[in-house]
Amino acid sequence: MKQNDEIQDVMEQLSALAPAKTDAPQSAHTAFAQLQNQIESRKPSPIVTFRRYLTMSRRKYALSGLAFVLLLVIAFSLPPVRAAASDFLGIFRVQKFAAISVSPQQLALLERIADQGLYPGEFQSVEDPGPSQEVSSLDEAAARTGNTLYTASALGAPSQVRVSGAGSGRLIVDLDNARSILDTAGVDPQLLPDSLEGAEVDVTIYPAVEQRWDDGTTLLQTSSPLIDYPEDVDPSVLGEALLQVLGMSPREARRLASSIDWSSTLLLPVPEDLATFSEVTINGTSALALNSIEGGESSLIWQRDGTIFVLAGSQGVEALREIAKSVQ
Amino acid sequence: MAQKEQGSLLTSISEALLLQRAGQGDSAAFEALFYNHYDRVYGLLFRLVGNRGEAEELAQEVFLKLYHERFLAGREHNVGAWLYRVATNSGYNAIRSRRRRLQRNMALLPDPTDEPQDPAAVLAQKETQTRVRETLAALPPRDGQLLLLRQMGLSYAELAEICGVAPGSVGTLLRRAAQSFRDAYEARQNKTET
Repeated sequence: MKQNDEIQDVMEQLSALAPAKTDAPQSAHTAFAQLQNQIESRKPSPIVTFRRYLTMSRRKYALSGLAFVLLLVIAFSLPPVRAAASDFLGIFRVQKFAAISVSPQQLALLERIADQGLYPGEFQSVEDPGPSQEVSSLDEAAARTGNTLYTASALGAPSQVRVSGAGSGRLIVDLDNARSILDTAGVDPQLLPDSLEGAEVDVTIYPAVEQRWDDGTTLLQTSSPLIDYPEDVDPSVLGEALLQVLGMSPREARRLASSIDWSSTLLLPVPEDLATFSEVTINGTSALALNSIEGGESSLIWQRDGTIFVLAGSQGVEALREIAKSVQ
Repeated sequence: MAQKEQGSLLTSISEALLLQRAGQGDSAAFEALFYNHYDRVYGLLFRLVGNRGEAEELAQEVFLKLYHERFLAGREHNVGAWLYRVATNSGYNAIRSRRRRLQRNMALLPDPTDEPQDPAAVLAQKETQTRVRETLAALPPRDGQLLLLRQMGLSYAELAEICGVAPGSVGTLLRRAAQSFRDAYEARQNKTET
């Protein structure tokens, strides 16, 4: 069949999808009025806008809650660890953090990809942690979460303690979309294997406790999130794809991907215009230090015995380290 | 310069100005962009999802995204290209979400029409539409977008701009997409008949 005839045939088939008379849309005038209502109803109130401006202007780059961890895991991490064939217990638990600097241009590209509705899959929320709630004391927080709680003894008793619940969700990988994301980001889409299509990644986050002191210092404590996913994934290949999406060259990504232990390392993208990062030690434990470029808050992130700690404050990294040493 | 090309150039220039003004808060400019593209965006979405209400909702979301999109100043932006790309992705996401929720009974629901129709013919039409739509949804989004927009009457030059490809390659891409569609459609048809 001639190629043009083939196109014409397909065009005729597709014409079956054209809207019939009864499928005509509402008038553009009515549709625009509805759109205007939506725009008006989604505009934040002046008070909320001001509070958000304050937060933005302080450039608070700290892991402020479970939502961030979950979003990070879902949006950036395709943890490629081989699960036991007969046992789907998640064996990925965060033990180390690895930071990667990401340019504002690359972040803007990723935001545009997300704005265009391209997501790596469908995310289903199974259990919503809900908003955090203030409690009267550390003892009450410990009772509600069932966890042993640590506090920064160097700062004395916290002025506020808040508790967040557990949560869980599932990401069902859409391989076409995931490959489109890679393609749009300039990465070879074929890095992702066919076996990823429909893969189900279950993420569980645990109750968290946030302590706040009068000087603005905060200490967040939660058990390491748990990630369950099917087998048959090459760890370093997925990690390599992820690093390239974040802006690394193919050669750099390959080299780094092969040196990271993807079974226990959570990759944290750090906007290079917002913060610098370094590795420090806290009582012999490796920690990631994030230093705000604009002189705002700094943060320390570390893991100990299956518990993640995030300490944030305006004191600077060295002062925070001293405070972190007193966390017991 | 040919008349049609001149028309396209003028349209692009005026839309670039509208976009610039809309970005500066000019609501009339945003409204003009909306009226320029709403019917086509709806048409594209309807062809993908096959449901008027859903297509209208998705169209609203697409224009809401346009409203909030921060186009970089000083760079040329093809609003139509952006809108159809976002609409295609939204349509494909909707189909895939729907597929995963196992809500694929639309083919069997009769359309409310004023004129009585032969039920058998209506059913056959619905089945054809479903098969065509499922075949389209199985193609890569760019191929589906190319085929649908061509069916909607866009020229090769317009397709090149929207899909971000060289004008000279549209014909080849269209032929390949059509071939993929035919192969997938026949495979689907053979599977149904066996």
